[in-house]
Amino acid sequence: MPALEIDPTSGPADGLAAVVALRRLADLMEDAEVERAMRSGWSWPQVAEALGVTRQAVHKKHAQRLIAAGVDLRRR
Amino acid sequence: MVTRLAPDARSLFTAAEIEARTNRSPLVEAEHLLLAMSAHPATDAGQVLASAGLTHEALERALATEFEASLAAGGVSVAAGGQDRPSARQTRRLRLSASFKAAIERSVTASSGSRQIRPAHLLLGVLGAQAGTVPRALRLAGVDQAELATLTRQALAG
Repeated sequence: MPALEIDPTSGPADGLAAVVALRRLADLMEDAEVERAMRSGWSWPQVAEALGVTRQAVHKKHAQRLIAAGVDLRRR
Repeated sequence: MVTRLAPDARSLFTAAEIEARTNRSPLVEAEHLLLAMSAHPATDAGQVLASAGLTHEALERALATEFEASLAAGGVSVAAGGQDRPSARQTRRLRLSASFKAAIERSVTASSGSRQIRPAHLLLGVLGAQAGTVPRALRLAGVDQAELATLTRQALAG
């Protein structure tokens, strides 16, 4: 069967694009909110618990970026 | 015959990664390659984009429109500039997304018979996508994707 001609801006395309956009928004929000919490003095375990992920996961994802941004992360 | 990346095509890869970083993206996507082309108007691809009115600024606007429209389709509205801007990711090398890899594969196919992969071949690869962010952004910007591909082929032939 030949592939269906796709209209990139209607019906299923809108729904699938919404999934992509919401994932991107969640990623952007996570970066911004983790940074805000750590700048406010939260610890890694506290941020991890609030996000419902492990401390290792949140540390691995954000530590390097926040250190480079000048957030003091010692003794957290 | 082994096809090789032309130097100005190679530099677009680096530029695409910078675009991804600027956009706080964890992956280099096809739209970042397109943004990189539009920022290099001296390349054959950049000329084609400019002739269609797709400057870097116009493309950024189109992509922002697409993002907002897609969020709206998901029932979410975000006030422009209403979010905190997180600090940029510092990972040494960003990974390539599926949309980027697919565009490169199409570019390699499009360049068969040519000595090198030129920026316009990369543009043909990006324009080969049927669904996703790039086709949506172009459609919302009122750009005819097929016509743009035809212009690109003409630029390669001429």
